[in-house]
Amino acid sequence: MIIAENLTRTYDMGKVIVHALRGVSLTIQKGEFIGIMGASGSGKSTLLHLLGLLDKPTKGRITLAGVDVKTLNDRQRTRFRLKRLGYVFQDYALVPELTVEENVYLTSMIRGTSKEEYQAQTYSILERIGLSDRLNHKHNELSGGQQQRVAIARAMVNKPEILFADEPCANLDSESSRNVLDLFKQINKEMAQTIVMVSHEDWHTEYFDRVIILRDGLIISDGKKSD
Amino acid sequence: MLLDLRVSFFLAIRGILRGSRGSLYLTILIIAMVFTNMIFMPSIILGFIKVAEDQIITYQTGNILISPHEDEAYIEDAFALQEKINRIPGVLRASVHYSTGVTLRYKGNTLGSNLVAINPDDERLVTDVYQKMSDGYYLADGENDEIIIGIQTSGHKDESLDMGATLGYLKAGDPVTVEYTNGISKVYHVKGIIETGSYYADQGAYITWDELESVYGRDMDLATDMIVRTDPDAYEPDVKTQIYRFGIREKVQTWQDLLEEAMGRAVQNFAMLNSITIIVSLIIAVVVLFIVIMIKTLNSRRQIGVLKALGVEKNIIIHNYVFQVLIMTTLGVIVGTTLVESMVAILTVYPFQFPDGEVTPVVAISDLINNTIMLYIVAFIAGYIPAWRVASEDILTAMRS
Ligand SMILES: Nc1ncnc2c1ncn2[C@@H]1O[C@H](COP(=O)(O)OP(=O)(O)O)[C@@H](O)[C@H]1O
Ligand SMILES: [Mg+2]
Repeated sequence: MIIAENLTRTYDMGKVIVHALRGVSLTIQKGEFIGIMGASGSGKSTLLHLLGLLDKPTKGRITLAGVDVKTLNDRQRTRFRLKRLGYVFQDYALVPELTVEENVYLTSMIRGTSKEEYQAQTYSILERIGLSDRLNHKHNELSGGQQQRVAIARAMVNKPEILFADEPCANLDSESSRNVLDLFKQINKEMAQTIVMVSHEDWHTEYFDRVIILRDGLIISDGKKSD
Repeated sequence: MLLDLRVSFFLAIRGILRGSRGSLYLTILIIAMVFTNMIFMPSIILGFIKVAEDQIITYQTGNILISPHEDEAYIEDAFALQEKINRIPGVLRASVHYSTGVTLRYKGNTLGSNLVAINPDDERLVTDVYQKMSDGYYLADGENDEIIIGIQTSGHKDESLDMGATLGYLKAGDPVTVEYTNGISKVYHVKGIIETGSYYADQGAYITWDELESVYGRDMDLATDMIVRTDPDAYEPDVKTQIYRFGIREKVQTWQDLLEEAMGRAVQNFAMLNSITIIVSLIIAVVVLFIVIMIKTLNSRRQIGVLKALGVEKNIIIHNYVFQVLIMTTLGVIVGTTLVESMVAILTVYPFQFPDGEVTPVVAISDLINNTIMLYIVAFIAGYIPAWRVASEDILTAMRS
């Protein structure tokens, strides 16, 4: 569970002060698939970065899985991200020198998982996303959609408490986007995975359980969809 | 920690194997050249010194030189001293010399030279000059009216090989006139020509001790110096100490002392040149490795930001690049060592020809080890700094790049 209370984030640019977030509060329950939407520049990425411990709020408090993140030092924040959070970025960001399988198990290696265990986990997650025949491929031998699915596998291999995704379909055509969104939905349903996804495509809302709309750094709408 | 290093090494191996081949080979080649440069120069200098050592021992002074006390012109009771020295354990033989300045004349050529009287049977046991007769024969004990002359004094057939003034191609069997300082002038039969390759030895002229006594008209028990050959496994400084135990006033110098005296400055200059070469080489290595890693890391800024976002520690990322540098350095050192070894092998068969002899590079293991260590230290720094700079960047700044 994530509790965000009155988050503000300002960027001091010298002459001007940019108010990226002006006071955002929200609570995310375990197993929710949340879409954060809004126009470009409305503060979606900023909010995601704060919730995902990639940035620190100017004001406000974040409680992640019962931990007030302010109490964590940099090293602990890194460990927290490694062990309990997962990320998917717009441009996949696979390590180019690693194969599909190596990309997926890299963080498991760092977590100290045994080789047998992480290889099995990697195989099973790649099988689930339909790429188990690509274990030894390099990123440039895969399509954009496939690369993004490998990135999702990398984020999921550790079964994170929360999976963050910042516009994961922005570089994909609509068919690949659907594939990727279907995968997120499947993970969310079958594994009760909490997902926080930033998007600015209206048609993505059909996948989300709950849609939060930002405008100028404020939440203007927060609605559970009644399905 | 160990786990993190293993992950860094895992990333480094992948980074090297799956990164750009061209830049990898080029980097290894440059490190190999730098290493070769660091090793080769000192090996040639060591080669020079080795030649000088060999020549001093083999053709000039043997292992130990005894010369008169600085206040005196001669060693008195020379043959009694020779007897004593011959009995020291570790001494093979001492040979007594009496040298004097003379003027040589042949076919209108006149040349000042140093004439040395020797006992050939002793001398044969101390120097190898007798094996280096390019024409005619070496002297024998008791011979009169015979002289042997070094090629740099007699002169070559091909004048271009002469290094200074000569008598103009004097050969075995020719007559040569020797004018002594006491006014005596005498014609000698040239018994042989010496050609050792050592400029010093090839300038001399030799007669027998009996001939010296007949010219001076009396028994000679004076020496201008005495040279000593020791056992191959004797340690010269120990023998020197033993000689001093006789309580003699004479000056005793090992070949090491002489080399130091003769080449001290040259060796110092060489050492200086050497250091400059090594420093320049290391700077090249630092710059190349620094640039290679800087380009690698700058190209991977976003990548590095993402890895940090995923929870990869900064040190794992830095050590990845440090390992890459160390692996490239290792490969460079291996290629460089192979290069040096091949060059040494070739130069052993086809040595550099220098006036003082044939110079073959001598690679000192200590130089190999020291330079390898220095190269590793430098490589470590050159990898660490750019990797640290990029890996220390704020996650979001790096990811936005
Ligand atoms: N590092 C930064 N420095 C200055 N301004 C920033 C920075 N990051 C974001 N902003 C500003 O904050 C606002 C919100 O940005 P962002 O959260 O990226 O919006 P979104 O993801 O909704 O497009 C924008 O006006 C943007 O220009
Ligand atoms: Mg954004």
